[in-house]
Amino acid sequence: MAEARKWDGLERRGRAGAARRKKAKPSRVVADPEWYRKAVFYEVAVRGFYDATGDGSGDFVGLTEKLEYLEWLGVDCLWLLPFYQSPLKDGGYDVSEFFSVLPEYGTIGDAANFLQEAHHRGIRVIADLVLNHTSDQHPWFQESRLSRDNPKADWYVWGDDNQRWSEARIIFTDTEPSNWSWDPQREQFYWHRFFSHQPDLNYDNPEVQEAMLDVMRFWLDLGLDGFRLDAVPYLFERDGTNGENLPETHEYLKRIRKEVDDKYPGTVLLAEANQWPADVVQYYGDGDEFHMCFHFPVMPRMYMGLRREQRYPITEILAETPAIPDGCQWGIFLRNHDELTLEMVTDDDRDYMWTEYAKDPRMKLNMGIRRRLFPLLDNDRRVAELFHSLLFSLPGSPVMYYGDEIGMGDNIYLGDRDGVRTPMQWTPDRNGGFSRADFAQLYLPPVLDPVYGFQSVNVEAQLRNPSSFLQWVHRMVEVRKQHPVMGVGSFELLNAGNPSVLAFVRQTIGDDGQPDIVLCVFNLSRFAQPVELYLGQFEGHTPHELLGRVPFPPIGELPYFVTLAPYGFFWFELLPAPAEEARV
Amino acid sequence: MIDERTLQAALADHLPRQRWFAGDQDSAGAHSVVSMTVLKSGWPALVHVVVEAAGRRWQLAIGLRAIDAHDSFLDGKGDAVLGLVETTQGPAMAYDAVIDSELAPLLLAQAMPGAAVDRSRPMGADQSNTSVVFDERLILKLFRKLEDGPNPDVETTRGLLGVGFDHVAPLLAEWRDGAVHLAVVNEFLVGAVDGFQLALTSLRDLYDARVKPNEAGGDFGPEARRLGGVTARMHLAMSTAFATTPADPSAWADDMLEHLARVPSDRLDVSAVCAVYDRLRAVHPGLAIRVHGDYHLGQVVRTDAGWYVLDFEGEPARPLAERTRPSSPLRDVAGMLRSLHYASEVAIRDFGYADDPEAHELASDWERRNALSFLKGYNETEGIAVLLPPVETDHATTLLAFLLDKAVYEVGYEASHRPDWVGIPQSAVRRILEEAALT
Repeated sequence: MAEARKWDGLERRGRAGAARRKKAKPSRVVADPEWYRKAVFYEVAVRGFYDATGDGSGDFVGLTEKLEYLEWLGVDCLWLLPFYQSPLKDGGYDVSEFFSVLPEYGTIGDAANFLQEAHHRGIRVIADLVLNHTSDQHPWFQESRLSRDNPKADWYVWGDDNQRWSEARIIFTDTEPSNWSWDPQREQFYWHRFFSHQPDLNYDNPEVQEAMLDVMRFWLDLGLDGFRLDAVPYLFERDGTNGENLPETHEYLKRIRKEVDDKYPGTVLLAEANQWPADVVQYYGDGDEFHMCFHFPVMPRMYMGLRREQRYPITEILAETPAIPDGCQWGIFLRNHDELTLEMVTDDDRDYMWTEYAKDPRMKLNMGIRRRLFPLLDNDRRVAELFHSLLFSLPGSPVMYYGDEIGMGDNIYLGDRDGVRTPMQWTPDRNGGFSRADFAQLYLPPVLDPVYGFQSVNVEAQLRNPSSFLQWVHRMVEVRKQHPVMGVGSFELLNAGNPSVLAFVRQTIGDDGQPDIVLCVFNLSRFAQPVELYLGQFEGHTPHELLGRVPFPPIGELPYFVTLAPYGFFWFELLPAPAEEARV
Repeated sequence: MIDERTLQAALADHLPRQRWFAGDQDSAGAHSVVSMTVLKSGWPALVHVVVEAAGRRWQLAIGLRAIDAHDSFLDGKGDAVLGLVETTQGPAMAYDAVIDSELAPLLLAQAMPGAAVDRSRPMGADQSNTSVVFDERLILKLFRKLEDGPNPDVETTRGLLGVGFDHVAPLLAEWRDGAVHLAVVNEFLVGAVDGFQLALTSLRDLYDARVKPNEAGGDFGPEARRLGGVTARMHLAMSTAFATTPADPSAWADDMLEHLARVPSDRLDVSAVCAVYDRLRAVHPGLAIRVHGDYHLGQVVRTDAGWYVLDFEGEPARPLAERTRPSSPLRDVAGMLRSLHYASEVAIRDFGYADDPEAHELASDWERRNALSFLKGYNETEGIAVLLPPVETDHATTLLAFLLDKAVYEVGYEASHRPDWVGIPQSAVRRILEEAALT
C-alpha cells in the first residue's frame, strides 16, 4: 500500500487555508480502516501546548511547531480539546460559533495548515465536538430566546414547567441546583444538563440534526480525521426517563456514523459516555455507531487497586465489561482534562477514593478528584511506570494526556478544572518555554512549585537525560507499536494465586500469519511479590522480555514462576520453541 | 490386575505419607483392599482402588507404567509414588494417577463421559480430597475418605445452587458408586484467592503504613462487609434448601461443655466459661439450619465476581450425622470472626512484629474494624433476622457462646500442636469472657 496515499493531507499541500471544497475533494484512501485500534492517542489543549504568537495563549501555529516532538514521542493521533469560538466559561465546551477558530488560537487557515503538517508526519487529528449544547452566547440561542415563534424558537429545549424530567440527575452538583434555568427574555425555562450557560440543543428538531451534521462535514472537509463527541448520552429528553441513553439518541448517532462511513472513510468517532460498561457498549451499536468509547470505570479502579495492593478492583470491572462488536475499540486513559471522575464507582468506593486521593477538600470537584497523574501517585516514578505499562497493554487504545509523559504536576488552587490544564512545560526558561508573553498575560500560570515546577520538570531536560521518564515513555510507545496485539489482541486474565499480582495474556494472529502472544504481569504492591502462573497452554514457549529482549527460561510443565520487584511489571512475548528443539 | 500382595506392601508404606490419610503406620499396614477396578489396561494403566483402614474407606486412583518406560513426570514426586508392583501385564511402577496428565482426563471422564480436555494439573491436596484442574476451567475433586452416604459438600452445594445461591462453584458432574460420592466436577473459579491471603495482603499494608485500618490503602473493611452479605445470603439459601428445625440451645450448650472437657483445665477459667454456656440455655435461639460448619477465611475465595464459599464438608474429623446436623447460623458467624482474629495475629508473627506493641494495637484495631464490617454486611442483609435470635440480648449471648466454643477448641488444639501459639486463643477467651460479663 503506498504510504503517500495514506494521508490525504498530502494532496492538499500548498492549498492551506482553502475553504470548503466539498465537491472537488477526492475521496479518502485509507491504508488501514481500523487504524484507531492500533493507534496511540494524545490529548492536548491548543491553548496549553505552545504559544507561537506571544499573546499568552497557545495556538495552532505553536502546535504545528511542536509536531516534531509529538512525532518523536510516537503519537499516532492527536485529540484536540475544543478550539471553536467560545466565551470559555467551560474550557471551550461552550461553543458560540462552530465554523470558526477562537481568535487566540489562530485562524481557520492556521488550523488547516496544522492538519496538513500533522498528516505529513503521519499523525492524525481528531477534535472535540459538543453535540448536546451550545454556549448561551451562540447566535442560535440568542435568536431562540427572543420569542416563542421565531425561526429558531424550537432549536433549544424550552418549557413552562421546571419540574419536568425530574428523574434526570444533575451532573454539576457543585454549581447547578436544577437542570432548568429561567430566561427572563422569553419568560420560559430552558433545559441544560450541564452549566446554566450551556442550553441543550433540541434534537427533536430535524433542523438541529441537520445543522450539527453540517458542522461535522465542514471540519472533515478541512481534514480532521474524526471527532471525540462530548456528553453523548443526553441528546434527547423523554417523559418518565432519566434522559440518558435514549433510543432516539442512538438513532441520531447512527445517522452520523453512516454519514462519515459513506463520505469520509477512515474517520473515527470516539464517544464520551461516562457510564457503566454494560451501558456504554450500546454506543457501539452493532458496529454501526461509535468506533471507540472511553472505558471510564476502569480508570479509577486502577488507582484503587494500587492503594489496596490488590488486583480485584481492576479485574472485577474487566470481568464485567462485555464484548464489543468487531472493529470497535475501548479508549483507555489514566487522566484527562476533567477531574478524575468517580461517577462510575459505588458510593463505598467513592468515599474510599476521596479519603485516599483527595486529602485536601480543594482536591474534590463534583464527583471527582482534580489532580494530575503524578501528584495522584505521590510522584512515585515506579508507580507511574507501572500505570503506563497498564495503559499501554490493557485491551484498548491508550489515550495519553499532555504533560503526563514528563510527570507534570497540578495547581489545585486554580478554579474548576484549570488546575490540570496549566501550560506545557518545555524548558526551564521563562514561562517554562511555553510563551514569550509577560507572565501576567498567560492564560493560566505554569506550575512553579519546587517539585513539579517547570524548572525541574520540563521536556528539554528530560530529552537530554536518557533515563528520564519521558525517554522511558517514548520507549514504551515504541515497543507497544511493535506489537499490534496490544491493540487488537484477545484478552485473557490469568489465574494468579497472589492477590497483588495482575496477569493477562493478549493474543492475535499477526499480518505474517504467525501468532503474536504477549504475557503481561504486574505487581500492584509496594513490596516484592512472587507469583506462579499456569501457562500449560504455552508449554514449550520461551518468554522474551519486551523492553530488553531478554529471553527467560522456557515454559515447562510446572507453573511458571515470576518474581516481581515492588510495583514491577513484565511484558513478555511468548515465542514458540525453535523447530529443532520442538518436542516430537 | 495388580498383584494384591505387592499392592498391599506398597500401600502400607504409601498411605501414612498422604495428608488425607487420618490413620497411622499400624492401621495403614493393617488395611484391606475392598475393591479394585481396572479403568484402563495397557500402558499406562489406570486402576481404581478402595481400601479400608483405620475404620474408614479410602479411595485411590493408581497409575501404572512399565518399569522400563517410567517417565520423567514422576521425578521429584516421591510422595505420589507407590513403588514397584506386579501386574498381569508384568512389573510396573505404581503412582497416584492424578499427577499423570495422560490418565487424569480418564478420571474426569468417569464423572463427565466424553469431556474433551487438553491439559491437567494437580492442585495441592487438602485434608480430605485431591483436586485436579483441567484447562484452567474444570476442577475434579477426588474424595479420599469415602462417606457412608452422599458427600455433604456435594449435597450442600447442589442444594444452594438449586435455590439460586450462586456464590458457590457451579457443580458440573458427579462420579458416584450408588449413593456414595467418589468425585465431583466443578467449574474452576478463575482468579480466586483465598480470604486468608487477602487478609494478609491488607495486614501487610497496614503494619507498613502505620495508620488506622480504615485509613490504610489496603483497608479490608469493604471486603469484610461484602463477605458478611454473602454469608447471610448463604444462610438464607440454606434455610430454603434444607429443613430447618426448632433450635435447642441446651443441646448446643451440652456440646460446648463436651468440647470444653477436652481442653486442659489449667489453660482456662472453666467456671466463667461454663457460666456463659449456662446463659445460652435460656435464650430464644432463632432457627437451626444447615450451616457451613467449618467456616473461616480459608474457606472463602475472592474472585472477580465477589466472594465464593468452598468446602461444605464440615469439620472432617466429626461423624457425618453430626456434620450435617442443623445448628445456629451464628456458629458460622463466630467461625469467621475468630478467623479474622487469627489473621491479624498470624500476620504479626509472620511479618516479624511480635515484639512491637504498636503492631499489636493495629492488629486489634484491624480485627475490630473488620469484625464490625462483617457483622454489618451480615445483619443488613434483607430477611436474615428471621433466622436469628429475635431478642437483642439473646442474639449477643448466642454469638458470644459460639465464639467462646470456637476459642476453647482452639486453645485445646494449640496446646497440643503449637504451644507457642496458645496465647492467641487464650487472649480471645479472656476478651470474650470480659464482654460476656458486660452483657
